[in-house]
Amino acid sequence: MKSDLIDIQVESRGNDVELTLSGSLGIAQLSAVKEKLDMLVDGPGCFFFLNLQNAHFTSDHYLNVFLELLNRVKSQKSALILIFDSAELYDYFSRYLNIFEVYENRNAYKKSGTKKQLQQIGIHYGLRSGITISSGVAVAFLSLIVGWIVTLLIIISTQGHDLSDKQAQIIALQNQKERYIKEIDKLESSIGPLRKLGVVQDTTMLSSFGLIQDWVGYLEYLENTRREK
Amino acid sequence: MKPSLSFVLQLPPSTAYAKLDAVAENLLSGVLMALDSGKMNISLFMDGPTLETVCNVGRPQKINKLRKAIEDGSLELLGGGFYDPMLPLFPTELQSMQLEQHGSFLWKHFKVEPTGYFNSSMVWEMEMTDLLEKHRFEYALVQEASLQDALGRTTPVSGWYSVEDKGAFLKIVPISQTLSRAIAEDDFHWPEIAEPYCRGGKTAVIALDIPPQPGDIIPFFERLIDFLETNELETKTVASVVNEQTSEGRISFLLSAGQKIGLPATAKTCRELLVKRPEVNLLHKTLLSLYHRAKDTLKDHELKEIYQMLMPAMSPIYYRDMQDCEGMRTPMVRWWGARFLLQVANRLTELVSFDGIRLDIADFMLDGHKYIWAENHSYSFLLDYFGGGVLRILNAKDPENNLLSSWRDDGEPAVSFLDFVLPNTELKASKLDQLLSDREGILASPFDYQIKRHDESTDIQLLSEQQVKIGEQSGTFEVEKKYALSATGSEFELEYRLKNSGSAEARGFFGTLLETGLLACGTTDRDILVDGDALKFNFRDPLIFPDARRIEIKDSVTDCRIRLDFETRTSLLVAPIFGASALAAPEALQGIRIFPFWKLSLASLNETEFKMTVHISKR
Repeated sequence: MKSDLIDIQVESRGNDVELTLSGSLGIAQLSAVKEKLDMLVDGPGCFFFLNLQNAHFTSDHYLNVFLELLNRVKSQKSALILIFDSAELYDYFSRYLNIFEVYENRNAYKKSGTKKQLQQIGIHYGLRSGITISSGVAVAFLSLIVGWIVTLLIIISTQGHDLSDKQAQIIALQNQKERYIKEIDKLESSIGPLRKLGVVQDTTMLSSFGLIQDWVGYLEYLENTRREK
Repeated sequence: MKPSLSFVLQLPPSTAYAKLDAVAENLLSGVLMALDSGKMNISLFMDGPTLETVCNVGRPQKINKLRKAIEDGSLELLGGGFYDPMLPLFPTELQSMQLEQHGSFLWKHFKVEPTGYFNSSMVWEMEMTDLLEKHRFEYALVQEASLQDALGRTTPVSGWYSVEDKGAFLKIVPISQTLSRAIAEDDFHWPEIAEPYCRGGKTAVIALDIPPQPGDIIPFFERLIDFLETNELETKTVASVVNEQTSEGRISFLLSAGQKIGLPATAKTCRELLVKRPEVNLLHKTLLSLYHRAKDTLKDHELKEIYQMLMPAMSPIYYRDMQDCEGMRTPMVRWWGARFLLQVANRLTELVSFDGIRLDIADFMLDGHKYIWAENHSYSFLLDYFGGGVLRILNAKDPENNLLSSWRDDGEPAVSFLDFVLPNTELKASKLDQLLSDREGILASPFDYQIKRHDESTDIQLLSEQQVKIGEQSGTFEVEKKYALSATGSEFELEYRLKNSGSAEARGFFGTLLETGLLACGTTDRDILVDGDALKFNFRDPLIFPDARRIEIKDSVTDCRIRLDFETRTSLLVAPIFGASALAAPEALQGIRIFPFWKLSLASLNETEFKMTVHISKR
């Protein structure tokens, strides 16, 4: 069974797929490695990280396997990144270091440039969705979206100003109301003794019903006005 | 002439898990009582958790007394692993951490660096020489029997011998087992037994187990003092014995399988436990897998944190073939072990920020075959595609439990999704249970695997030709078995496609077996639900439930739940798995056997499909 010859690990998370080969890999394992790598890159994934840190190659034939894999991954509009930092592997890949992207770990690649990675994501999803747009159109779309966002921000900012004005008015009116209440209290307390002597009649205590003398007429009036409505 | 004896007192490490405060308090009182008697010089071994508790519960006055006894040489604290593990089973870094942690604790609280190494399991392999010398040990205590083996003699062995390995040197001190047993059992013939050990002014080393029950500890020390007073004996610490005596000779090779670990007397090494008991082996290999993954992916303090978390899972109770909460025959012990390791796995997942699907094809069990380790955020499993596409481990990450932790007395591992083709006869539940237990009609030929990645899931597709025998009739099935893992959910799908590639029609039953260790720690009436209703199951007699669409097992003790949803109406066998978990209760529940099965009627070259979804969650 070919699959019994190699240790391989695959970890999929979002756009990233990390494949890890480990152990001593010679001619006997070559076809198994090729078969399994082809199988594993055949699926979703924008960035394929091939971790070879714990692999030891005893045959040059693997270089061709990795070149073929690179072509295959590129044809899917994805990226293949080799992960290792050992001198032995740098030496093994020395002839093709200008072809392969090599980083010491996945984080090092992630920190290597946002623009490059965004472009890669764009190319990859362009292929998957079947929608490809030129740079001009992309810039126009981007400008439109930025325009919308700026307009939205201006509207929000203006409304914010209005709201703060209204808030200030409310606070001023509330202060005014409190001041008036205090003044009324003060006035009431100053005419209190006169009211007790009966010099001043307290009209504030009279209800509106107290002023109505002709109840029959009033009720007729209410009925007529409701009917009219 | 009165014999000279050296007493090594030790507490079984299992006591670290029950009433430890009371044990530590009584132990401290007992040791001080023995020292105050003025009759005793003792060598004492306590594992890390016991030492910690002694320092926590002991008043400073008592701890100071211990320190003074150490200074004047009447008390020797022996070193060893913090959790007293069988060190040869583990990688060097973990071995060193165990020794360092125990040693630094002794230094911190008692200002003493141990010179003697003690391990309650008494396992020894030659590689220990180098390790112990690096940690500045001068001597190690071993079983007398192993030294007799090495020397090729059967007569009593005492004194100390030297060993060297890879340029490292160590003194080996045998513990006189026969004499220890005679004194522990109050055999009045003990002076005759002691005589050959103490010939020529030598001191015999006696190891006595301090009883694990708190109430028995003080009487144990009283009895010991009484024994010494009655016999007017001279006692020495092992360190002073080693210093006073000269070497008895050199040994070229020493190996000890240990004691009280559940191995037969014929066993040569503690590794025999890994061969004999698949449950122990699985726990051991899971620990190694976590260790290697942490070593490959983490550095510095994060790596140290994982190593630190792995240490409790090295305790000998998880590797012994023993009962009564002292070994892995007890369901609770298996659960504790799995829980420690899953806590480590969960922390490791956090540290490496893993949130997708991981498949690792490697020789997980170190037996020359590859296995597939699969995991997502809520479960992980070990798929043995070479042995019939079965799961050997099924971990629920959130409840921190391995669902396949049942124990089979026949030494076979518990598995899940082991497939059977059984004859089309009237099968009673007990008969069917027997067939499954005997593994009759299994489809266990090796599978080849394919991995198919999708946006939200990954499929592990297994393909094989399986030879089937239904009654007298033989045939061949092309079997496609697919585990579909979800990237976000807590479930996976299991699909079967069977094609009859033989020339004759195949009639029988096809089913798949799940041997779960759930409910072994305690049961209630509503633990097993079929189609939402509680199953009337007495946990003694197997039963068959026809036409089920769903079965659910909820374990309230381990807080774990598994649910199987079937696409079509399915017959279900539910049966208990019994095994010995205690000497007093040889028929103890070790888990539940679930066997969903379907009627199979396949003409030549016809095919059929079965499908189920397995949900794993916290209760």
